[in-house]
Amino acid sequence: MKLTESMLRDFVKSPLDAPELADLLTMTGFELEEIFESEGESVLDINIMANRGDGASVLGLSREILAKDPHAEPTELYQRAASRFPAADSGSRDIWAMASAEIQTSSCTRFACRVFEDLQNGESPEWLKKRLRQIGQRPISLLVDLTNYVMFEVGQPLHAYDLDQLVGGRIIVRQAEEGETLKTLDGVVHRLKPHHMVIADTQKAIGLAGVMGGEETEVTGTTTRCLLEAAHFSNTSVRRTRKELGIATEASYRFERSVDPEGVVVALNRFAELYAEITGGKPVGGVIDVYPERTERESLTVFLKRASGLLGMAISADDAERYLKGLGFEILGVSPDSLEVVPPSWRTDILREEDLVEELGRVHGYEKIPEALPIGSTPLGGPHGFEALTDKIREAVLMAGFDQTISHSLRDLHPLDFPADSGSGENTRVRVRQPHSPEMAFLRNSILPSLADAQRRNNVEDLHIFEIGRVHGTGVESTQLGLMSAGRFDGPGWRPSDSSTADFFTLKGVVESVAQAVSLATQFRRTTTDPRFHPTRQTRVVMAGAELGVMGQIHPLVAEACGLPPGTVLAELTLDPLASVAAGIPDYRPISRNPASRRDIAILIKKDVPYSEISDAVARSGGPDLERFWLFDVYEGQGVPEGLHSLALALQFRRMNANLTDDESNALRDQVVSALQALGATLR
Amino acid sequence: MEEVALVQNEAVAAIRLAATTEALRAVELDFLGKNGRLANLMKGIGALPNDQKPLFGQAVNAAKAAVEAAHAARLRELRTAELAKQFEAEKIDVTMPGRAPRVGRAHVLQLTTDKIKRVLGSMGFVYAESPELEQFKYNFDALNYPPDHPAMDEQDTFYVTDDMVLRTQCTALQGRVFESVKPPLRMFTVGRTFRNEAVDRTHNHTFHQVDCFMVDRGIGLHHLKGTLGVFARAMFGDEVKIRFRPDFFPFVEPGVDYAISTPKLFGGKWVELGGAGLIHPNILERYDIDTREFSGFAFGLGVERIPMMAYGVDDLRHFFDNDFRFLSQFA
Repeated sequence: MKLTESMLRDFVKSPLDAPELADLLTMTGFELEEIFESEGESVLDINIMANRGDGASVLGLSREILAKDPHAEPTELYQRAASRFPAADSGSRDIWAMASAEIQTSSCTRFACRVFEDLQNGESPEWLKKRLRQIGQRPISLLVDLTNYVMFEVGQPLHAYDLDQLVGGRIIVRQAEEGETLKTLDGVVHRLKPHHMVIADTQKAIGLAGVMGGEETEVTGTTTRCLLEAAHFSNTSVRRTRKELGIATEASYRFERSVDPEGVVVALNRFAELYAEITGGKPVGGVIDVYPERTERESLTVFLKRASGLLGMAISADDAERYLKGLGFEILGVSPDSLEVVPPSWRTDILREEDLVEELGRVHGYEKIPEALPIGSTPLGGPHGFEALTDKIREAVLMAGFDQTISHSLRDLHPLDFPADSGSGENTRVRVRQPHSPEMAFLRNSILPSLADAQRRNNVEDLHIFEIGRVHGTGVESTQLGLMSAGRFDGPGWRPSDSSTADFFTLKGVVESVAQAVSLATQFRRTTTDPRFHPTRQTRVVMAGAELGVMGQIHPLVAEACGLPPGTVLAELTLDPLASVAAGIPDYRPISRNPASRRDIAILIKKDVPYSEISDAVARSGGPDLERFWLFDVYEGQGVPEGLHSLALALQFRRMNANLTDDESNALRDQVVSALQALGATLR
Repeated sequence: MEEVALVQNEAVAAIRLAATTEALRAVELDFLGKNGRLANLMKGIGALPNDQKPLFGQAVNAAKAAVEAAHAARLRELRTAELAKQFEAEKIDVTMPGRAPRVGRAHVLQLTTDKIKRVLGSMGFVYAESPELEQFKYNFDALNYPPDHPAMDEQDTFYVTDDMVLRTQCTALQGRVFESVKPPLRMFTVGRTFRNEAVDRTHNHTFHQVDCFMVDRGIGLHHLKGTLGVFARAMFGDEVKIRFRPDFFPFVEPGVDYAISTPKLFGGKWVELGGAGLIHPNILERYDIDTREFSGFAFGLGVERIPMMAYGVDDLRHFFDNDFRFLSQFA
């Protein structure tokens, strides 16, 4: 809310200048948004917290300054405001004979009004017009300007109706009827719903309660009789109407943050006072005040030891009493240990002891809170279990040379989405009910589409990227590792002969090294039929006995559909099953001090004998002295019969606490060879 | 004896004449090898009278030493010359670019998160995670939101069903923790949060948040300030000062807005970092935690804000765009 420096000084005498007053307000919780000059004066724009409607007025902000700053003093105007602007005598006419009001909805707590007659609704005096201009309000006419001005002064929105336009001279506060229409002051016609609260006369809606008046009953230059409304509406009802109909006004801003139910008549009186000052005129009759259920505030007790403990700074009983009194609390009792108080009617946010603790701290000053570290027992901090495992996996993928990406969970559909379960025909996608745009209507069910987006955004040939993030299926949220690899796999360089290109096996190597980094055994199962992948170049990935997902080369048609290079390889691994396996503990074995002996063998074997069978046979037949073995060459072509290929294997033997003789190593090799021959291999 | 001198002279001459290390190797074998001429001379020692044997032996050894010295000297000469030739032939252009190994690069938000985890982890806060698609009750009810709070509007929050929302804050972890862990406790999380709003330089419908909280006996705002002080100085430098200002959030009472200032980064201006406060007693009571015995604090902040402030990144959208021209700038 905006206010000028002089408006503030109408209520508070303070040696501080405008920026200092703004700093002080900021430290009470009313943050300065902006300070600027207008027509030769400072104007403050103050941000009002969502639960502090009382601060959306010069009076309320002045109260904060007076409570916090011992050097500030209230002005005579402040004191009259604090005693709620007692009404001057307004003659003997019965107001109920001129107008009447009725509340028919629980969203209106109180409705009050006064009547003015023999009006001349001309222009406002210059001082008033200037102040309104300075705080961003357009001067319109005296009656409208005064309703606005009083609202800024005391925080209670007012509305002036042309009484002669009110059918039946009667105000009814009620819920709108379905389909009822209303043309508001801004000329817009609204179609209303029953949850919108309206002000109506006996015939129709004439205003949106707490938001904006209607055009038909607006005061004009020819208005001679005016009904001035001040009411208290529920903040939720006003907020809902404002949001749905898209009309934010100074009135709705205040009602949403709650206004003082006891301030309703106060505002009418302040209006009458200013109106009399300017025109010499007075309201006729008394006040119509419909207030069916006035609630008494209950008292609260704050214990100072507790307050000091929670605030981390000591507050004395004297200080506490002064602070709370300054904020308008009624002090029922003070002891050295505690205070019993009743919160003022404008502080609907004060409900329990801790709220009072905050008040004490706020006024005493949060800048006085010292820094201290908590003591007591601390658990072992940082990530544990699954979160620690995921961290390790991420590090392993980074070490393998993959760049990390982080992408939106909300997205549109994509050819690389996890395929719907064709068996049940169930749509596994999770959809957001009211997305901001269709591009973000779904929660991703796979990381792969995000990786494809990243590839396209960067538009480079060589890209090796991953993301670890959440994916969503119906009723399931899981953590997934997605890998995408295309192009040269070595670092950037200028000797292309050194380069290796990403393919199924480079990616498989990465998956294996990731498993190794967390000491988990990996297996690859050949039978998969994932339509996103090349039908004969895909495999299921199993770690620690749990199936994590699938990896392989992209299906050429899918690659075309999403603009990826045809040789792109991908892995989609759901990590959640690893949560239940103990993060692998490495299997330590003592190492032998004796030298190793290596024997290389080359075999010719049918290409359709899977390597996994060959390696199983080698491992089985090599015995305990076979330290490790590896495939180092695969050859087919000249000299190798059709349907066969030649595999070169290195066998490394080593024995614990003894040297292997050449003969022993050869015998071990022959053992392996005969196992391979049993598979149909011949030595080359 | 004369023969010894003769062989020595011959050897030295041959060594001098050898023009390559290969030729020298041949000379070496000829004279110094196992069956070389000096060795053969020594074999003849047996035929000599006993009194001449020592002298002869000494002479052969002396000759051998001399030949070896000559050989070593010549070898050095030849190697030097040959290496010089080789070096010339192996000349490279050292100004050509290096070939870098392929090293994976972590995302700038990951680097920030890693740092957060180190700092809070070392202060005894346990890292935990909770779902992104969260039950309404954990996102709002458990955090003391009144039933009609504006944040619950469909315009602000992504709903999947009436009961399931994309969490609007990582504070949603709190209720889940209080359900299963009894105080004293210290926890934190880092994760995605979602708000249904239009995307521009300073707004995104998705961003990351750190949320950190503890419950113990006698916890007050001074402990919050101290913890935030350590945290902020670890993230932004030793000169960081911290300021509390009253603010309102449904899940804390008292609630504060905390700002930091550091001469290096913001010229001493206060820059707001996030919201914090003492955990609202309504929340603790909801989970049967006795507020006479226990109190707690909580603070949260946007992860993206940290690199934005530390490096001056001016567009929030970069963090989800995966453009390596952007991401490669951070390490």
